[in-house]
Amino acid sequence: MTGQPDVVIVGAGAAGLMLAARLAEGGQSVTVLEAGPERHLGDLISSQIWARKLKWSEPAVSESGDHKIGHAFNAGSGTGGSAIHHYGVWLRMHEGDFSVNSAHGKGLDWPFAYSDLASHYDRVQAEVGLSGDSGLERWRPEGAPYPMPPLPLFAQARVLAKGFEKTGRHTAPLPLAINSEPYRGRASCQYDGWCDAGCPIGALGNPLVTWLPRALAAGVRLEHNARATRVLRHADNSSRIESVEYLQDGQLKTIRGDRIIIAAFAVQSVRILLSSATDGHLAPGNHSDQLGRYLMTHPAATVFGLFEEETHPHQGVSAGQLLCHDEYDNKNAPGGFGSSQWMIGHAIKPHDLLGYGTSRPDITGAELEPWLKRAARHLGNMTLVCEDIALPDNRITLSERVDADGIPCAHTHHDLDPGAAARWSQRMAEGQEILRAAGATAVWQGPRIGMHIMGGAVMGNDPAQSVTDAFGRAHDTDNLYIAGPALFPSSGAVNPTFTLTAMASRQADYLLGKSCPPTPLDPTPSALNPSHFKRGTHDSIGELFHY
Amino acid sequence: MPGSLGRRTLLARSSAAGFFMVAGQWAYLTPREAQARQFDPQILTPDQTEALSTVGEVLVPGARSAGFAAYIDLQLQAGKRSLLIGKYLGVDTHTQTAFYRAAADNLILALEQDTAPEDVAESMAADTLTDWAGPPASYVFFVLRADALDVTYGTPEGFEQLGIPYMAHIMPEQPW
Repeated sequence: MTGQPDVVIVGAGAAGLMLAARLAEGGQSVTVLEAGPERHLGDLISSQIWARKLKWSEPAVSESGDHKIGHAFNAGSGTGGSAIHHYGVWLRMHEGDFSVNSAHGKGLDWPFAYSDLASHYDRVQAEVGLSGDSGLERWRPEGAPYPMPPLPLFAQARVLAKGFEKTGRHTAPLPLAINSEPYRGRASCQYDGWCDAGCPIGALGNPLVTWLPRALAAGVRLEHNARATRVLRHADNSSRIESVEYLQDGQLKTIRGDRIIIAAFAVQSVRILLSSATDGHLAPGNHSDQLGRYLMTHPAATVFGLFEEETHPHQGVSAGQLLCHDEYDNKNAPGGFGSSQWMIGHAIKPHDLLGYGTSRPDITGAELEPWLKRAARHLGNMTLVCEDIALPDNRITLSERVDADGIPCAHTHHDLDPGAAARWSQRMAEGQEILRAAGATAVWQGPRIGMHIMGGAVMGNDPAQSVTDAFGRAHDTDNLYIAGPALFPSSGAVNPTFTLTAMASRQADYLLGKSCPPTPLDPTPSALNPSHFKRGTHDSIGELFHY
Repeated sequence: MPGSLGRRTLLARSSAAGFFMVAGQWAYLTPREAQARQFDPQILTPDQTEALSTVGEVLVPGARSAGFAAYIDLQLQAGKRSLLIGKYLGVDTHTQTAFYRAAADNLILALEQDTAPEDVAESMAADTLTDWAGPPASYVFFVLRADALDVTYGTPEGFEQLGIPYMAHIMPEQPW
C-alpha cells in the first residue's frame, strides 16, 4: 500500500481488528499498528507457563490502591491483543447496566441504551459464532438465539449444579464464543482446557480466526512491534490529529491518517493520549480532566471444593460450563451494591495463578502430592464476578518511570467502592454455601482479584464528564476515536469482550456512514474546537460547557 | 489456518531456550537435566541456588530434582521475556533479578540460623523471621511455592505424576 491510509488503528486486539476488518471491507484503506509481536495459531503452545508470553510485559504498569487491576494478568500483546488469551465468555450487558447513575445515583450512565446495541450484539454473535441456550438463560436481555447449541456438560458441572438447585438458584449453559460444532470453517472444541494459552485449533473465537483473516483479505496493512508513543495534532488545525508516532526497529516513525483510532486496551490507550500533551495543548480527550478517570476492574474470586464424586476438573474449557445470573438485575439488593454472576465449573490445572495447587499455599511437604492427586479428580470450582462502580479517583496517570526506550510508563490507582466490596463478600459467603449444598467436604476460596480492565476514556453525552461521544470520538477533536473497553462508563458484572466488540461494530457502521450520531447532546466538532482548550486560556471547564 | 490443524498432531514449537552452562560449556537442557548435571548459574550464585533449592524442596517435594533453581536462573536470564509467575504477582520483569537475589540471601541467612529447612519455611509463612529484609517473607513464600509448582507439576511429566492427561493441542518443546 502506498500513500496515507484513510484510517490508522493502534492496537490489533478484539476492537482494533474488528474495526479494521469492517472498515476495510467498507472500502477504507486501513493500517494497524500493534505493539507486540506477530502471532500465529501454531504459536499457541499448550502450557500455562508458556501462556505468560501472551500477556503484557513492557512498558510495565505500576499499580496502587486497595483493589489493583492486575494489568500483567489481564492485558495481552501481539496479534489478537488481550483477546488471544481470553476465555470466550460472551455475555450481553443487561439493560440496567446502561443507566446505573440515573437509576441508583452511583457511577455513570452510558450515552445510549441496550436497545441501541442489541442489533450489534446479534450481528457480532452470528459472525463470531456463539454456543449457548438462550431459552434457559432466564435473565438474558432480548436478542437473537445463539447460532450454536451449548457445549456439553462434564461431571464437574453436574455436581456443582446440584448446589445451585438445592439452594433455590438457577443455572444455564455458559454462553461462549467457542464452537460446540464446526462453524464457518472453524473446528469444534476438544475440551482440553488450554484456553488461557490460546486456542490453536480455532474453536475459540479469538481475533486470529475471526477478524484477522477478514482484515487481511480486505487489504489491511498490519505492522507488528510498532509501539505507539503519542498522537500528533495538525500544525494548522489543532482540532485534527494528523498522525501517530511510533517506535519500531529502534526508529521513531510517524504515520498519517484521516482518522485515528486508539484501540490499545484501556491502560495503554490512555497512556498514549496522556503522552500526547504538548506545551501548547492538553492531551487529546483531556479537555475536562476526565482522561484516565473511572478506571474499573471486576472484583472477582474463585471458590473451590472437594467432593466425594469424581469431577474430572481437567475436562471442559477454562471459562466454565454453567452460568448463574440470579439477582443480577437487583443491584440494590441488601448486603451491598451491584450486580454479580457465577461462572461455574472451570477446567483447571494444578499450577499457575488460577490453579488449585496455588489456591492452597498452606499445603506443603509430604501432604502436597496426595492432596493434588485427590484434587485432580474430585475438585469443583466456580468464579464470582461482581460489578465495579466507576469512581473518578480510580485513575490511569503517567508514571515518572520510563522504559528502556524512553517511553513513559503508566500508573494505575484503583480502590474498590465499599458497596461493591460488601457485595463481593456477601456473594463469596453464598458461594461457599452453594458448594457445601452440592456436597463438598472441604470448601475454600481464593483471594479477591481484579478481573478485566475497563474505563479510563469513558464515553458520554456530557463533554464535561466524559472523554468521547457516543461513537468514541474524543469530544475535543474531529478525527480521533477510541475503541475498546476504555470507553465503558460502567462495568456491569459480565465479561466485556462481547460488549466491546458490539460497540466496535456500532462504531464501524458510524464511520462508514451507516448511522447518524445522536443529537442534540453530542456536540459538533465546530462547537468543540480544541484550540479552545489551549492551556491557560480558560480558568475553569465551566467557561467551556454550560452545564 | 484452523482447517489445516489436526487433533494434537501439530508440530511442537517453542521459542523458549534452555541453554545452561555445564562444566564450562553451553548445553541445551531441561531444568531437570541441568540440575542433575550441576549447572553453573548465570544470574544467581551457587549459594543462592542451593538455598532456593533447599526451601523449594520443602514447599513442593520434588522441586529440587525438577530443576527449581535452574528454572529460576534461566528465566532471570531472559529479562523482560521471563515467564516466572512473579509478573502476575507484582514482581515486574525488570525487578525480578533483585527480588530473587534478595529472597535467596534471606534464605541463606535463615538457613544458617535454623537447622531445619521446614522451620524456615514455616517461619516464612508466618512472617516471623526476624532478620528478613525486603518484601514480606510470606509473600516470597507464596511466589516461590508457585514457582516450585510450575517446575514440578506444570509439565507433561508433572501432569502424568498426578494422573492427569495433558491433552496438549501443541506439545511444548520445553517441559513447560
